[in-house]
Amino acid sequence: MAETTASYKEPSALRVYAGQLRRNPMGMLGLVLVLIVVATAIFAPWLAPYDPNQIMLGPRMGAPSAEHWLGTDQLGRDLLSRVIAGGRIAMLVAVATLGAALSVGLALGLIAGYGPRWLDNILLLIFDAVRSFPVIVFGLAVVALVGPSLYTVILVVAITSIPIYARIVRTQTQALRGAEFILAERAMGASTLRILGVHVLPNVLGPLLILASMDVPMVIATEAGLSFLGMGVRPPAPSWGTILNDGYNFIRNSPWPVIAGSAPIIIVTLGFTFLGEALRDIFDPKLRRNS
Amino acid sequence: MTKKIHTITLGRRGFLQGAVATGLAAGTMPLGQAIWAAEGAMLNAFSYADIDKLDPGFYQNGYNVDVMNCIYHKLARYVPGREWEIENEAAEELEQVDDTHIRFRLKPGIMFSGGYGEMTAEDVKFSFERVLEHDSPVKGDWGPLKEVQLDPDDKYAGTIVLEKPFQPLWTITIPYGVGHIVSKKAVMEATGDGGDFGMKPPAFSGPYILDEWKPNQYVKLTRNPDYSGELKPGYDEIRIIPMDDEKVAERAYEAGDLDYTGISLSSLSNYKANPPADTTIKEFPSLYYVWVGMNIDNEVTGNEDLRKAIQWAINVPQIMDAAYFGEAKPSTGLIAPGLTGHREKALIPPEGDLDKAREYLEKAGGPPAQPITIDTLNATTWKTIAEVIQAQLGQIGIQVQVNVQDSGSFWTLGMESEGDRWKNMQLVVNRFSMMPDPFYATTWFTSDQVGIWNWERFSNPEFDKLNDEALSEADKDKRAAMYRKMQDLMEESGAYRFLTHEASPVMYRDSVEPALRPDARPLYVGFKPA
Repeated sequence: MAETTASYKEPSALRVYAGQLRRNPMGMLGLVLVLIVVATAIFAPWLAPYDPNQIMLGPRMGAPSAEHWLGTDQLGRDLLSRVIAGGRIAMLVAVATLGAALSVGLALGLIAGYGPRWLDNILLLIFDAVRSFPVIVFGLAVVALVGPSLYTVILVVAITSIPIYARIVRTQTQALRGAEFILAERAMGASTLRILGVHVLPNVLGPLLILASMDVPMVIATEAGLSFLGMGVRPPAPSWGTILNDGYNFIRNSPWPVIAGSAPIIIVTLGFTFLGEALRDIFDPKLRRNS
Repeated sequence: MTKKIHTITLGRRGFLQGAVATGLAAGTMPLGQAIWAAEGAMLNAFSYADIDKLDPGFYQNGYNVDVMNCIYHKLARYVPGREWEIENEAAEELEQVDDTHIRFRLKPGIMFSGGYGEMTAEDVKFSFERVLEHDSPVKGDWGPLKEVQLDPDDKYAGTIVLEKPFQPLWTITIPYGVGHIVSKKAVMEATGDGGDFGMKPPAFSGPYILDEWKPNQYVKLTRNPDYSGELKPGYDEIRIIPMDDEKVAERAYEAGDLDYTGISLSSLSNYKANPPADTTIKEFPSLYYVWVGMNIDNEVTGNEDLRKAIQWAINVPQIMDAAYFGEAKPSTGLIAPGLTGHREKALIPPEGDLDKAREYLEKAGGPPAQPITIDTLNATTWKTIAEVIQAQLGQIGIQVQVNVQDSGSFWTLGMESEGDRWKNMQLVVNRFSMMPDPFYATTWFTSDQVGIWNWERFSNPEFDKLNDEALSEADKDKRAAMYRKMQDLMEESGAYRFLTHEASPVMYRDSVEPALRPDARPLYVGFKPA
């Protein structure tokens, strides 16, 4: 009997989570869509059938064909190649922006939540001041000052995203700072750095990553929005927003560029939203819809 | 010598006859038309750019003048139609006495709003002379103006005196920007010294007044309650809505937000084949000139051989095909066909020559190590031009970075008064509007204009001398040769690659009867319901 009990093996947490995800069809759909987008972004140079910036004045505004699966734009550029290359830009913006916003937001949130009250107040004031700017309007102002570029887009979205993460981390840190295990650590003489790094950080990181995954579509839409307004990536870089704008301007000539520019934004939004909601349900059972 | 101008000189008797005829017409017109004359309606119209100056003595561009036409008077105005003609507006009589004297007599009874009284020759003198006294950036439009002499016996009459003959006087000066007349009393009260009053007109005299201006949103003109002149306003309210991009204006028109708009050339064939409901489409030639400019004072583009390599690498027909869908033709210079000084051929063929471009590039020491920049306005056509040039220069190994600018940022790019951005400007896709005299094209490229509108910073004493002399040259052939030579000098500098004069298709609701200049520029003051 004792031997039987000893042979039982607890399944790993990852396995449990994977199982839960498999049982969530929308989550699985989201995962598949996200994987497709990420893989396309990584392997873009090999997947794109043409140079995305190659101007071909022959087949302009062409409908989908065997040569050009999504048709061509007003300069005869292959839309499929531009959409694929645009995915790389979108993912680059998403990763760089969220990476920067998460890192800075995490650090500032920990400081605000665990530091002295006066510092918390100052940081909160800054967070609220930054958040009070509408992202696009703030972006347009920055672009007007420093000029449009991919880095400007990353900078704008990162700066406006930092307070979101910092506020969440701050709230969670404040909730944890009075917890018994933290008080015990402090009584035993643990340094602030150790308490924050070893005990607080792991407790706030999970929800933060879920939130970040759900913010990916927002970041991509912001980049596309700025590019649509001509304030994002420089031409001829094929941002989805640029493709959409070109399509919008020539919509009387052909609907295909609009479809090609908007479809990936819809796919990414759906993919990351479904996946993010599924992850949230898994990691935060209190929020499960059916619980 | 008395020389009558080729305009309608309306005497008092003629005016009375006209007034009687107008009264009869009003009395017998159908009820619907009588109602619009009395009540009017609202017109929503498109403009390429927002206004930024309503002082005619210091006007910045044609978009300001479009509004000025509605709120002030000039001695004479352009006649809407396909031919360049002018007719008297504020002037009852207007005649060229000799090469340097123009006598005028104002129509009595033209009132300024705000209680500033009747327009007199004193106001004309003040309006014209302040352009020179205050060193206006557009003082060139008044050329060799010496003074305006008042008639001591007639408060409405005076004589414009020039230092020397000035050919653009009848085509540009009198019927356009600096030709508008403002109230001396109102301007002196508003400014103290009679200088620039910017965006706040102290008094109106035209059929409309500026009711509201929301920057980058709209200009709202409403009927002038103090107006009693002959030009009845067709609308209670005109809203002029600035949109940098014609494509955006097209969408707005289709959505019903505009009653009148320009059409991009790339959309023209589509609209002709499938016009929006209740819409008239008309095509006009354009006087605009589009070119690629290169900053001579920039460290990189200061290299003349590099500039020439760029000139020869640019294939203009390809640009026409890509940006204008083949609806525009390559230009040979600044001056459009049909105008004095038009060149039949440019020095560099429209197609360019990549071998020659490579030769120049080799002489220049090869392509620049860093990508060169090309600045362009954030509008579809211009962005497309920049992208095609980017691809064309890539063929000879020159890497190009396209900088898209919004209109506020773009139109100050080469201006020294706006900071040091001009130093970093290298290539720029640019377009200027034009009037029916070659002076209006070349005058922006003189040495005086460096850092103002001459963004290429082209400075050539021979060009300046020719530009000055051509203003008074009465022999048309000689004058044409001078302007052709000036365009040669510009092209030889390597700082210019001329692209096109475009064309000006417009569309408007069938319920609108537009008043357009021969180049399709709207004369809103003459718009009325159909």
